[in-house]
Amino acid sequence: MSKYAFWPGCVARGAAPELYTSTLAVAEHLGMDLVELEAAACTGAGIISDGEPYLQDVLNARTMAMSEQMDLPLMDICSTCVGVHRLAAEKLRDVDYRIRINHHLAPEGIEYRGSADPRHLLWILLEDVGIDKINSMIKRPLEELNLGPFYGCYIVRPERTLDFDAHPTRRDSLEQLIDILGATTVTYDGMTKCCGFPILTTNKKNSLTMAGSHLDEAQSKGADALVTPCPLCHLNLDAQQPDAAKVIDRSLNLPILHVPQLMGLAMGIDPEKLGLTRHVVDTRNLLNKLGV
Amino acid sequence: MAQQEFIIQRYNPDTDESYEESFDVDVQPGQTLLDSLNQIKWEQDGTLSFRMSCRHAICGSCAMKVNGQSMLTCQTQVDAAVERGDPVRIGPMGNQNVVKDLVVDVTKFLQQFERAETWLEPYEDQEPPEKEYRQKVEEFDHWSHASTCIHCGACYSDCTVAAVDENFLGPAALAKAYRFVMDSRDSKREERLEYLSETQGGIWDCTRCYMCVQACPKDVLPMDAIMELRTLAIEAGHTNNHGARHHKGFAGGVRKRGRLDEMMLPVQSVGIGRLLTGQISAHKEMMDYTPGAIRLLKSRKLLTIAQRHGASAEGREQIQRIFDEVESEKHHHDVDADAFGAEFETAIGGH
Ligand code: SF4
Ligand code: SF4
Ligand code: SF4
Ligand code: SF4
Ligand code: FES
Repeated sequence: MSKYAFWPGCVARGAAPELYTSTLAVAEHLGMDLVELEAAACTGAGIISDGEPYLQDVLNARTMAMSEQMDLPLMDICSTCVGVHRLAAEKLRDVDYRIRINHHLAPEGIEYRGSADPRHLLWILLEDVGIDKINSMIKRPLEELNLGPFYGCYIVRPERTLDFDAHPTRRDSLEQLIDILGATTVTYDGMTKCCGFPILTTNKKNSLTMAGSHLDEAQSKGADALVTPCPLCHLNLDAQQPDAAKVIDRSLNLPILHVPQLMGLAMGIDPEKLGLTRHVVDTRNLLNKLGV
Repeated sequence: MAQQEFIIQRYNPDTDESYEESFDVDVQPGQTLLDSLNQIKWEQDGTLSFRMSCRHAICGSCAMKVNGQSMLTCQTQVDAAVERGDPVRIGPMGNQNVVKDLVVDVTKFLQQFERAETWLEPYEDQEPPEKEYRQKVEEFDHWSHASTCIHCGACYSDCTVAAVDENFLGPAALAKAYRFVMDSRDSKREERLEYLSETQGGIWDCTRCYMCVQACPKDVLPMDAIMELRTLAIEAGHTNNHGARHHKGFAGGVRKRGRLDEMMLPVQSVGIGRLLTGQISAHKEMMDYTPGAIRLLKSRKLLTIAQRHGASAEGREQIQRIFDEVESEKHHHDVDADAFGAEFETAIGGH
């Protein structure tokens, strides 16, 4: 059985609990053993580093050291988490910097040795679980659905940090997953752009114009729903969708699914268990289309 | 020699017509996109318009959108472009008005530099040094990335905020402003930091989307420069703005619970102090967030404090210790920095 040190991230344990429950449900079906890092801290999301980059690196060194101590690969379920973890891992390849940082971990007797390779569930599905295994688990192919990918910045940029050269399949991981699950991909310009979430509290109008225009573009290209590996994007695209519609003056009605929810649907897991009833934008039409 | 199809976005200002046109070009191994555009212009359609000059990634004229991403066409080989999409789609840069075909009006882009006053403001009241102004090697190494900009506009063209806000200073001008904030010969460091954190469209409006870092052909790392400006501005005490408050509220929440507290963020960004002292503008801003909160409540997303998951008790203790340790270390550093600053001032003054 494949085992992972699992960092759910704050949002999956806060405003997007459906991401957490659907991840656990899918992992169980796939026989993945997730050991949750209960003592780990928020990645800082690039916001702690706005004022305190050093502090953010210490917090992430600690999380990565915990995964090393368990001798397990680190799994994230948030584009932002994986991006921030990988940036920290990149900076901490510098031995001198690592020594300086490690000195804050010494009181608990842990040390970051520099070996972590944080990955997102989406990559793990394609790289570890594999297409054949996923295929064998599909009970209800999503043939009726046209799905727009929405990546979230940190799982597609900067490419160097994400090791795209060594893993070219990471470039279009969402399209691949959509394809394996039997649905049709709707491509649109906004799919790799920013949802605007980071500036929601500092510049709401700009933030919602971004979210709204991507939603509008995907909707007008015929998407039935979007799927995202980022719960922060989910907050801006789902919870803020009614406000975004007002800001751009269009009518929007586009359900936003988390990656494991989509997996779960194809694997025949009960929508209630996947938290699909807990969205702001109603998923009922989508489920009707699938006949569930 | 192989045939390669290019789909070029065209615009004719005389008829106000936009259309796509396909061209097949015989390409040699190693040939660049700009070579191919020249081939089209010389051999197939002399009316095709685009900017170019140096052909060596120096002048910054030839940035265009290639398969959706902005880059220098003289620096990009056809093979590399094909890997990202075949046929290769070439269009004008984004976020600027198109003049003709692949030529955009760069006025707005250039005005951002003027607005940010990205030129050296020397110390007027000090005698210039006898020989030259000295800059420490380690210091220059730290910010030299931001000095290599060729003003090609690729970053601005892909910037997600520039796409929705004309007022945003944009990645290149902000990176250049950073370059002068860091330059020991410049006398306006404090004024710059204040302006960049308080002006509309300044450092706090960036979404941290990495588009500019990905697009830049010169590794200027504009976003990294903006992030460092934020840290410098907070350190310099420019904290009476949404961005700095957001940082402080976020970090404070993580210190307490080990995790982000989304429910408290709007309150903190608007400013607890402003709310408590009854500032009307603060209450108006708060009302702005209320519809979102009510919707979350309806979809059972807004959790009670007890349901919101913090780090384990043991984890929380360790996280708090780390926060406090780093904080107290910073104060030590401040003392060091002051001493260093004094030494530095004399060094650059040349006396
Ligand atoms: S990045 Fe977001 S979800 Fe991830 S740990 Fe931090 S706040 Fe939480
Ligand atoms: S798209 Fe938005 S929430 Fe998602 S990673 Fe980018 S900035 Fe963050
Ligand atoms: S990181 Fe900031 S400056 Fe750079 S492209 Fe994104 S929003 Fe624009
Ligand atoms: S920062 Fe880079 S992409 Fe932007 S104008 Fe300068 S060289 Fe071009
Ligand atoms: S032609 Fe000068 S940079 Fe490309």
